[in-house]
Amino acid sequence: MRLELETRGTRTDKGWRDHDGFVGPRQPGTGPRSDPRGDFPTGPEVGAAMPDLRCLTADGPAFDLHAHRAGRPAVFIFFRSAVW
Amino acid sequence: MELQKSMRDFDAANIRVYALSYDEADALRDFRDAHGITYTLLSDPDSDAIRSFGILNTLIDPNDHPWYGIPYPGAVVVSAEGTITRKFFDNNLAVRAGPERLLWAALGEPVVEPLADQPAPLGVQVRVSLDGDHLAFTVQRDLVVRFDVPEGRHVYAAPAPQGSLAVDVTLDENDRLVQRPIVRPASEPHALAGTGESFQVHHGVFELRLPLAVNSFSRSAAPDITISGEVRWQCCDDEVCDPPASRRFELAVPVSGPPAHALRDSRAATLEPNAAAHFRRMSERRKDPG
Repeated sequence: MRLELETRGTRTDKGWRDHDGFVGPRQPGTGPRSDPRGDFPTGPEVGAAMPDLRCLTADGPAFDLHAHRAGRPAVFIFFRSAVW
Repeated sequence: MELQKSMRDFDAANIRVYALSYDEADALRDFRDAHGITYTLLSDPDSDAIRSFGILNTLIDPNDHPWYGIPYPGAVVVSAEGTITRKFFDNNLAVRAGPERLLWAALGEPVVEPLADQPAPLGVQVRVSLDGDHLAFTVQRDLVVRFDVPEGRHVYAAPAPQGSLAVDVTLDENDRLVQRPIVRPASEPHALAGTGESFQVHHGVFELRLPLAVNSFSRSAAPDITISGEVRWQCCDDEVCDPPASRRFELAVPVSGPPAHALRDSRAATLEPNAAAHFRRMSERRKDPG
């Protein structure tokens, strides 16, 4: 997959307006606003097993997704940051 | 924070909710405590899990701190058996799937059915509503246009044959709203008995969905937003077609306040006094991971 950076945007009096119409302080194609144009990786396909991702909980201990959800369905969200 | 408002529904359905970011564990603890978050926050400060899932944003330069390390944001739905059943990813960093969408994907999509004890419609019935009871900044919710087409008749799907009108919904100009491509249901082929001409149509009860979000920089003080526009269709049977029809709609929808940003807003900084320190640290540790 060849990744391409989305840089289309116009400067307005409220900030940079991106290709989709969102207005934000950063110019599209810079810093966290480095969005892909066209295809981009989204992880294992629908139908595949959810991998056991290794990470920490907010309280510190190591986390095991499948042990924690204990046979219950889950929504797993990957987000940018809780800080900025 | 918008997700937290729906946690009662996820809990009632016994669906676990996890949210992973590259933040340090103590930054997540502060966020959780400041906003009363009850879903499980997960810390991946070296982006190992993000990398192993294959969604590290590699368009960001590895020396661009602290941005390098974030994923292409999105959500996956996992069945009780541990299989990925649905994924929600969007090219635009600012867009996230609304909680209703995630809940439905985990529970199974609701089937669109005719309203019970309602007499069969004589003409095409159209109802416009919004998923959820409010709009929020950058959280995507669908404007739902529900059609009920009388038995024995159809409306043209897109693309319509030349000279005919496909079913559609358009919004009036509104810079507080960002709309995404319309989601249309699968259409069915329809062949005319006389000529053998074939085209795509919709029958019975179906929905068009127009995903909407409120623009994050639209700092209008108005507590409501008016979503207005027009629905268009053309209804036919095997013999004749009605002229193209349209209907205007106008919905006043409450908008939840913009998320207060602890790095820019003094009121939010009171709630999260360590935010600036977390931000400094996340930049510095990435410059010197040693």
